[in-house]
Amino acid sequence: MTTPHANPEDLDLYALGALDGEEKQALDAHLRDCPQCQQQLAAARQRTALIGLAAPPMAPRPQVKSALMDKVRAEKRAPITQATPSKTGKKRWGLRFSFGFGLATAVLAFATYEFAKQDLDRGKQLRQLQAQLSQDAAALQAMGQITGAPDSAQITLLQQPNGPPGQGHVLYNARMGLGVYSGQIAPAPSGKSYQLWLVPSSGAPVDAGVVDANQENGAVVVRLTPGLAPKAFAVTLEPLGGRPQPTGPKVLVGAAS
Amino acid sequence: MQPAPDSALVDRMRTGDEAALSTLYDRYSAMLFGMLTRILRDQQAAEEVLQDLFLQLWRNAAQFDSARGSLPAWLMVIGRNRAISRLRGRRDREVLEEEAGDYANTFASSQNIEDEAQRAQLARNISVALQQLPVEQRQALELAYFEGMTQSEIASQTGIPLGTVKTRVRTAMQSLRQILG
Repeated sequence: MTTPHANPEDLDLYALGALDGEEKQALDAHLRDCPQCQQQLAAARQRTALIGLAAPPMAPRPQVKSALMDKVRAEKRAPITQATPSKTGKKRWGLRFSFGFGLATAVLAFATYEFAKQDLDRGKQLRQLQAQLSQDAAALQAMGQITGAPDSAQITLLQQPNGPPGQGHVLYNARMGLGVYSGQIAPAPSGKSYQLWLVPSSGAPVDAGVVDANQENGAVVVRLTPGLAPKAFAVTLEPLGGRPQPTGPKVLVGAAS
Repeated sequence: MQPAPDSALVDRMRTGDEAALSTLYDRYSAMLFGMLTRILRDQQAAEEVLQDLFLQLWRNAAQFDSARGSLPAWLMVIGRNRAISRLRGRRDREVLEEEAGDYANTFASSQNIEDEAQRAQLARNISVALQQLPVEQRQALELAYFEGMTQSEIASQTGIPLGTVKTRVRTAMQSLRQILG
């Protein structure tokens, strides 16, 4: 037996995020199997998003655009999102140690060693590494901050049963709310994105940003609310562009302790 | 000279043209920043979300199909999602039930908000429509949109019966639907 199509008003409320409880569960169940209502929901999402136009436009500070364009240029020099297919077509997934995390680990080991010697100009060394490895400037800067802090943590994210092959790594400092993610996962299906989450001890998972399947050739910087201690980090498969809360299956998970 | 359409700029971004991103930023950053600042009430946080949003656009330009949807609407949807997510993280709210699915991969384009004049007119219409709503309906709708609250959360926060909140949000959306398309 098929259920009747969703009421357009219900789809508006769903798109707005206002529905909850049984109403939402019922609509979720219907939407799973109804392409027609899925399309209607897509239209409703756009419609409701436009309510935000009621907020008066505000010009951001010019520095925001400057910083954005600097990041874009840095990525063009050393792409952090570009996949590099294997010539043989074979990938060693599983326990493969990603280059990006290898870089983070190298920086961590280097910084720790030099910190012990207490005679290090850490900034100079980091600049040398930056030049040597041609890494994304923002990621390297974040790594420098994190690896210089004794309360930073390394978390390895492992693939899940029946999930795509892959592995990821997060180097994170909760006090700073700053981290770097690197890893590699099988390419996401069309129209889907991988999204990283900080899972706190209590409360909702916190969006840590959309990540690329191949993030092993360069780490991506994660900036979250300082002071939020992670119980775990996870990567889920989400609709393109990510979602405010996880909606898809967990692909990688790593406990913080 | 006619401004380049979004679709052409997205195509140029796919080829690594920074100037295309710059143009799109100039076109939509104020619209987005206004919304983000209203949600987050924190200029620095709004700037960070704005920058991440355009960085995501740059990185995912190859995946965006202009023929299937409106770029500014996509930016509004994703920007709002990210701002509310950040707001929730800050508040350390309760774990939400994982949604069983999400289907908003495309955004049907019923409003042409690429054009600045039309966008400004639509913004005026929405503002007027909101102002014309009874104050209790407008407040309920604004809590849902700008605070990311569900109907139950609005009822809990305001002390108003859930049934009343549902009626207010639903009626407000019915009123706006004519304008939103």
